[in-house]
Amino acid sequence: MVQALLIGLIAGIGILDERVLGATLFGRPIVLSVFVGLALGDIKQGIIIGAQLELIWMGIAGIGVSTPPDYVTGGVIGTALAIISHKGIGIALTIAVPVAVLAANLGTLVRVVNLWFSHKADKYAETANFRGINLMLLSTTILFFLSAFIPTFLAMLLGASKINLIINAIPKVILDGLTVAGNLLPSVGFALLLDMLFSKKLFVFFFLGFLLCAYLKLDITGIAVLAICMAIIIVLFGNNGKKPNGKDETKSEKTEDNLTEGAIDFD
Amino acid sequence: MILTDKKLTKKDLRSIFWRGFALQGGFNYEKMQNIGYAYAMEPAIKRLYSNTKDRAAALKRHLALFNCTPAMTPMIMGISSAMEEQYANNPSAIDPDSINSVKAALMAPFSGIGDSILFGTFRVIAAGIGASFAKQGSILGPILFFVLYNLPATLIRIFGLKYGYKWGVESLDEVQKNGVMDQIMQIVGIIGMMVVGGMVATMLPVVTPLKFSMTGATVKLQTIFDQIMPKLLPLLTTLLVFCLIRKKVSVSKLTIGVLILGILLHVIGIL
Repeated sequence: MVQALLIGLIAGIGILDERVLGATLFGRPIVLSVFVGLALGDIKQGIIIGAQLELIWMGIAGIGVSTPPDYVTGGVIGTALAIISHKGIGIALTIAVPVAVLAANLGTLVRVVNLWFSHKADKYAETANFRGINLMLLSTTILFFLSAFIPTFLAMLLGASKINLIINAIPKVILDGLTVAGNLLPSVGFALLLDMLFSKKLFVFFFLGFLLCAYLKLDITGIAVLAICMAIIIVLFGNNGKKPNGKDETKSEKTEDNLTEGAIDFD
Repeated sequence: MILTDKKLTKKDLRSIFWRGFALQGGFNYEKMQNIGYAYAMEPAIKRLYSNTKDRAAALKRHLALFNCTPAMTPMIMGISSAMEEQYANNPSAIDPDSINSVKAALMAPFSGIGDSILFGTFRVIAAGIGASFAKQGSILGPILFFVLYNLPATLIRIFGLKYGYKWGVESLDEVQKNGVMDQIMQIVGIIGMMVVGGMVATMLPVVTPLKFSMTGATVKLQTIFDQIMPKLLPLLTTLLVFCLIRKKVSVSKLTIGVLILGILLHVIGIL
């Protein structure tokens, strides 16, 4: 019970990161799973699971019309149940991915209910009632908190004792398959990032980064530092002399570029 | 016409800065971040207007639809504050409606810039480096992730608000004039692309256990792939998912689909 409350609190506070705590990304699975691990006494496993979940969901930034998966609720429940069952990362992902998709509906519901608070805020504005507007912000914040706290708390309360029973009933070949699927899943995160960064002219740099790591075995820190130097060199020295030409190109490209269209729904 | 000399204090701006973090707290599908934006502007409104009518009008202005990358918003808030200050001191100098039209005009381009810099570059680098440590179970991973992202993100917030307020609407001409923004966008695009490419090669262990016999000897399919190009399967997997995303398949469908496909491919022995 105390454990369920604690994990629920972690999820509740985690979801507020992108709401009222400035999107500092402490609600991302790579950070939040540390706290889940801490609460359940296996911090190392928490960190490892968090890393894999981060890779899967790293492309999510609320782009487009479809509701993005709720990585906070999904990540916390998946990490917690995997640590409790001692079955590792495959189970964590199998629980986290569908739960995140389901939990996203709760987030949608809150954003619809918030319409009412928004209209009330308009009313308070007419009399310059600052406290009224602050109260509306506080109410919506509480709703968001509950949208992650309640499902996580319930999942822990009901699921924690039964999770081993359920997992033991699954045949081994499927469990191994879950690990394979877990290895495959970050491709979605990478592809989403590519989609976000996409522009035809820059695509060659994706292959360059890939090839440097695949053949020369550079690690990510190495490739990041190298990329920063290269990008600065190319832009500072490469564009000299042919500016007018380059400008036309970027213009025609903008239509395909997600980023410059501003078609991004921030939430 | 009485001209006044009302001015926001440092304390007001600091208050706007901290309130800016709560931007998305009241997110709703009609006016998005409107409540959060108005909440952040309250200190300025209180300082600049003394009667209820003016305060109500200003609050209503900032309760209009707003939606932008959170870390980019302090700069817009700074510009709004500068314009409110100008209007409060001399109502004939600017049209109050222009305060909102500037906000509306800035949302989309600021989101575009913010997304590619913050999410496309800083977060990618932070997650890439952080995850490579965290995968080994090192606490350094999450810490590096958090610091590498928040250091630049917080600086953008601080200097955005400062210069947005200081330069007002002119700050935008300043930035756009010399093409610096285009160059920055190109730099972050290149870095983001390269790091994602690197992650595909190092963090996506896709291998096949398939073997077949050829004139008596068993040949591992994976060995052949490795001879063509190391990490060929991770690359092809990512490009395939990328094509599906371009075809507008939703993220939820994709993640669940990959999960199920992974299990199936393992059960029939391909992966």
